[in-house]
Amino acid sequence: MSIETETDSATGDDPERPRGYVVGSAPSDVERELSHDEFDPVGTLSIILVYFLILVGMWVFMYFVEFLGGELTVVG
Amino acid sequence: MSTFVDRYPDEARVVRATLVVSFAALGIGAFFGLIQALHRTGYLRIIDSTDYYTVLTGHGVLLALVFTIFFLLGLFTWAVTRSLERPMPNIRLTWAWFGLSTTGAVFAAVAIVAGLFPSLDMSADVLYTFYAPLQAHPLFYIGLAMFIVGTWIAGADWFLAYRSWRSDNPDERIPLQTFMVLTTMLMWYLSTIGVAVSVVVFLIPWSFGLIETVNPLLTRTLFWYFGHPVVYFWLMPAYLMWYTILPKLAGGRLFSDPLARVVFVLFLLLSTPVGIHHQYLDPGIAEGFKFIAMTNTMFLLLPSLLTAFTVVASMEHGARQRGGEGYLSWLGSLPWRDPAFTGMALAGLMFAAGGFSGMINAGMNINYLVHNTLWVPGHFHLTVGTAVALTMMAGSYWLVPQLTGRRLYSRPIALFQVVLWFIGMVFMSNGMHRAGLLGIPRRTAEPQYQSFDFSATIGSVTELRIQMAIGGTLLFVSVVLFLFNVLLSAIEDPIEMPVDDSLPAPLSGADGSPVVLDNLRLWTAIAIVLVILAYSLPLASIVSDGGLFGESGTFPVFIEAVYWIVGVVV
Repeated sequence: MSIETETDSATGDDPERPRGYVVGSAPSDVERELSHDEFDPVGTLSIILVYFLILVGMWVFMYFVEFLGGELTVVG
Repeated sequence: MSTFVDRYPDEARVVRATLVVSFAALGIGAFFGLIQALHRTGYLRIIDSTDYYTVLTGHGVLLALVFTIFFLLGLFTWAVTRSLERPMPNIRLTWAWFGLSTTGAVFAAVAIVAGLFPSLDMSADVLYTFYAPLQAHPLFYIGLAMFIVGTWIAGADWFLAYRSWRSDNPDERIPLQTFMVLTTMLMWYLSTIGVAVSVVVFLIPWSFGLIETVNPLLTRTLFWYFGHPVVYFWLMPAYLMWYTILPKLAGGRLFSDPLARVVFVLFLLLSTPVGIHHQYLDPGIAEGFKFIAMTNTMFLLLPSLLTAFTVVASMEHGARQRGGEGYLSWLGSLPWRDPAFTGMALAGLMFAAGGFSGMINAGMNINYLVHNTLWVPGHFHLTVGTAVALTMMAGSYWLVPQLTGRRLYSRPIALFQVVLWFIGMVFMSNGMHRAGLLGIPRRTAEPQYQSFDFSATIGSVTELRIQMAIGGTLLFVSVVLFLFNVLLSAIEDPIEMPVDDSLPAPLSGADGSPVVLDNLRLWTAIAIVLVILAYSLPLASIVSDGGLFGESGTFPVFIEAVYWIVGVVV
């Protein structure tokens, strides 16, 4: 017997949708349909820029730690 | 509304069987991992240090090969069946490859575990990277060979299904999931030639005593010829789920079907000609070949970055459809209570971190610094250990209900489980990476030297050990919770609609992409040419210098290789 209780994640309005919580039921609360042309992935761009900056920062850090220190720190 | 098990009961039975084998390997392999983590850090030692290598081999083979590949076998069978919308052409063939690969995996596992019982006179303490000079019992190699042949037949099964579909749909684009399966299998056929030659021609006769010596560098090189593409063989099922399932779980649609196809074609082309980047520290391979392998490896960043963009954009599409706004605040609109979504998203986040340490590994000069240290296990616990394993576990929460007709036993436990894996891996992988930078070696039960202490600039070695021990323990607990949840889900009462298993169409569909992307013959031919370019000279060098069966030679070997080739041609 499942320990899940009935939740509001799947409403009873749509007879085609399972009742109770089901994994993968996210589309039930879609507020607006975004077509290809309406969708502008600026958030993705922001995340990739942040990742890129982290990469650059870590590379610079590695460069200073491993090379400009004058000796190899990796062997203690 | 019906789900997969209702439409394809025979295929669902096979997929369930593969997942049972996969999860059994996960449980045993994770237990071995716990023993390793606690032994290595010195907090609990229930085995002798000599048995550490048996446990390490079991951990590596059962998790990196058996757990991942059996999950792939099931997932790909599911994906081909559902995307072609037809049953497998011959279910007996499907059961045949399942039987062969399972028998092979059991043989290999028996040979490994027997090492813990000295009276059995059988062992396979060869680590995950099974090449000479370490030698295993013949049963280990025979089991591996059967396992590999089983995967080949599975691939043939999927190609037969595709051929049958193609005869009925001559002008259609290959459905995306089937396209992903076929390109992955083409890569697998190409890359497993190396390990098949190594095992069948050299290691099996050697382990039986039919030949006295082998050329260790040749078996190493043939292993790594397969050993890097196998990384993508683990990763491609995760990518298949990120591209085709994750956008749906996020409430959106895949951003671009053509981009997904390009990524899989790139992996087919670029996966195999890079294996020598695992051998930067091997004497006997000229620096030039290593440099070429490094350049090829850097090209592999392209499909990874394309994936990062496409998958994140697909998630953003879902978030914005669910009311998300702003540059980053849309992240809060994603369905973080859904364990399948959260697990996959956290796995992707870890993969981004693994991308950084992967770039360090790929660079020849920096690789020299970290190659034989704990940094490298820290890296692959982010990639295969989290990006792949966590995606597979999270995906199971969505997949298993389709295969059983029963709903998930507990979503809160599932959610806790995936987050626990993430936290455990943050501890363990952070500890491993930093320990690697201190020079602490990998693959050893006793990482100490006389009259030498490792010292940390930030924190302490003790703190790193604690992090690794805590991390390893949390990861084991997470696996136990996963297995517990899946097992209880499988014995739930059947219900009519256990899962929302529909997959929405991509925002940008296959119709807008070049038809040449579906030309699998062309991409295979190019992939073969690239492999020949990357490997013919290094292999000729190794054979000319050390002989096929291990003659002694001199180093470096590049010039001798050229003489050898000229001699053969003239």
